[in-house]
Amino acid sequence: MDSRPGGLSHGLKRYSKAMRPIYLDNAASTPVAESVWKAMQPFFAQEYGNPSAKYGAGVRAAEAVERARRKVRRALAAEDHRVVFTGGGTEANNLAVLGAARHRGPGPIWIGATEHASVRVPGKVLAGEGHSVHILPLTDRGDLDQEAALAAIQPDTHVVAHMLVNNEVGTLYDIPRFFAAVRQIAPKAHLHVDCIQALGKLDLDLLQLHADSLAISGHKVHGPKGAGALIVRKDARIAPLILGGPHEDGLRAGTENIGGIVGLAEAVEQAVEHQDEFCASARACRAALEAGLRELPGFYARPSVRSVDSILSVQVPGAPGEVWQHHLEQRDIEVGIGSACQSKSGEKSPALKALGLADDETQHVLRISFSRHSRVEDAQALVNALRELAPHLAEVPA
Amino acid sequence: MREPDLLLIRFGELALKGGNRAAYEKALRQNLRKALREIADVRIQAIHARILAYPSRRGAQMARRAAEVFGVKSVSPAYTVPADADAIEALSKELLDDALLRDQRPRPLTFRVRVKRADKRFPMSSIELERRIADHVLPGHEGLEVSLKEPQLELGVEIRGKQNYVFVERLAGPGGLPVGTSGRALCLLSGGIDSPVAAYLGMKRGLHMGFITFHSFPYIGESAKRKIQDLARAVCRYQGPAQFFVVPFTEAQEAIRDQTPERYRVVLYRRMMNRIASRIAHRQSYKALLTGENLAQVASQTLKNMDLIGRTAEHLVLRPLVGFDKEEIIAVARRIGTFEISNRPELDCCTLFQPKSPVIFGHPEECAAAEAELAIEDLVERAVEGTVIERVDPFD
Repeated sequence: MDSRPGGLSHGLKRYSKAMRPIYLDNAASTPVAESVWKAMQPFFAQEYGNPSAKYGAGVRAAEAVERARRKVRRALAAEDHRVVFTGGGTEANNLAVLGAARHRGPGPIWIGATEHASVRVPGKVLAGEGHSVHILPLTDRGDLDQEAALAAIQPDTHVVAHMLVNNEVGTLYDIPRFFAAVRQIAPKAHLHVDCIQALGKLDLDLLQLHADSLAISGHKVHGPKGAGALIVRKDARIAPLILGGPHEDGLRAGTENIGGIVGLAEAVEQAVEHQDEFCASARACRAALEAGLRELPGFYARPSVRSVDSILSVQVPGAPGEVWQHHLEQRDIEVGIGSACQSKSGEKSPALKALGLADDETQHVLRISFSRHSRVEDAQALVNALRELAPHLAEVPA
Repeated sequence: MREPDLLLIRFGELALKGGNRAAYEKALRQNLRKALREIADVRIQAIHARILAYPSRRGAQMARRAAEVFGVKSVSPAYTVPADADAIEALSKELLDDALLRDQRPRPLTFRVRVKRADKRFPMSSIELERRIADHVLPGHEGLEVSLKEPQLELGVEIRGKQNYVFVERLAGPGGLPVGTSGRALCLLSGGIDSPVAAYLGMKRGLHMGFITFHSFPYIGESAKRKIQDLARAVCRYQGPAQFFVVPFTEAQEAIRDQTPERYRVVLYRRMMNRIASRIAHRQSYKALLTGENLAQVASQTLKNMDLIGRTAEHLVLRPLVGFDKEEIIAVARRIGTFEISNRPELDCCTLFQPKSPVIFGHPEECAAAEAELAIEDLVERAVEGTVIERVDPFD
């Protein structure tokens, strides 16, 4: 028997810098970039002033926050908009949906069918507060059914929220066209778009999206966790969620997380600057993976109407996705899954269910997502591992 | 409110333990010292049939913690006072007023004052002082009815000369026996609701628990193991740190899957678990195994299957839940803080390769035949060799 004082877990390897696992769950999180970490560091132990203070240290801190804001504005073509720094993407989505609805009072609200919980759950809360909350219809191929949606949306609609890129299957929705049409029907509605999985993959521009606000998150693009932002039009009407000070234009009280904000801005700038290279590399990785999967019986990459190259949903045979996940983990390959085996029906992936998958099928899904560090060889290594595991797992009952 | 100056700790069943009483009391003092020291420095003193604890700080928190230590019947946070009737009166009123503000029980409450006067130099008799205090504290409290017999609320005053104190609050302890006085047992812990409750009940009867869990990576992931570790940590709140054995079980499960009839799988998993647990218990000096098994709850818990499973253990197997209904188990799990952890959605090795129709009434000969192909000794030995010993610490 092996007695280890640190409690280093069984089966869990400690990775040295030289021997990292192949990480293919970048839609969940990404490693903080060296340049981001460097930019953040001074703002913890050295530049610790409160940006609201009037003396030098406070002013320097406030300047750092404003410089970060300018960086985000530049990167996202948001010179004319407000940038509200938040404690992450979830808060940014909450602020937009709850804030816009509550500012207007009870009324019709439309939420996408495959939204992340940070939009879906606020929708449920609003329904409890007397708003009439509706789910936007999907086509049978999993795309937003614009025709049906536009026929249903009322002229007095208060809020419409939809994601640009789905976090589970990578579907790219045609939000510019949809929101332009919604604007014609419901001119006073607040139109919010969740761009958390789109940042660094597509050019984001509030006006081009015909949106009133868009949410982004730092740690999906090699920035820090706990840092996100809501880009919002200056004339948008939003009630704050966190009260107690004039910070962030009155939309988010509390002393600013300067290190996180500086890191977020650096990460956003990098993501936008290197977008083309990243997209090219993700396309190559995806092509290699799709080609490999075609050779493996029982596996298939979920087709999507239109999708980003960096997220791919793969159906696996035999054992549940989670069992495949751990077997891949044993081979130093980390991937995401659809729904966990033990999750209750209500928690099963809404995106996969919206695509018409049964509860049981949602458990047989791997999510592969690439970052700027992903290589074609990584995708090939994954295919090889799946091929080796198939005789072992493809027959295992669910 | 100021923090209490000392805690009066009463113990229950211990007093009945005749010849062993001194050893039990010593164990209780040690357990209290360990539990309370996690909070702050504390001095523990034995006096007559009670234990006094003198906290350096955070006395109120210590009182709540002491009321979770097995062997303790009740705890009263007490406040020192000079040997002076006026001062005693004033403090008594202050404590009673505060206690009544926090007491949610329906009124009227029966109440009495009880004075113990060990220092006979004090100028009033116990009864005189009781009357005087009652006359001072009662006005303004219409919800109190004086009753000398089994009152719902008692204001205690002790005059001991060097030190005099007053107390009202009485926190009920968990009873039972001091952990460790019954020996060491190894609990087979899963991610379910039952086994942590079983461990708690074992601790209550004086067992010091170690935990053993079976981990089938890569069918089951690290997060499932962490859940079980969290359960062990939660229940260790009632005993202190424990050993936590993580047994690699994949090879045994695969062998059972590939070499035995499908319907016997679950019974054979459990027979294998008992063999491995017994081997580890033997090497690590645990004197019994303890399981969360309940009669007739699932297919493997029929009398016949439990018999087949139990026979592979080389130790006494304790099954404290055998007479419990599921609702009763859940009620304890909620109270001791393990229910929410057990409810976390995670895979469990027992449900791996689950047969479509598991055997309900296993037969000894059939079972033996089912295992005939298995290299049992090799599988047990490799699992034991691969076992990782960790430590769970409730305050870590």
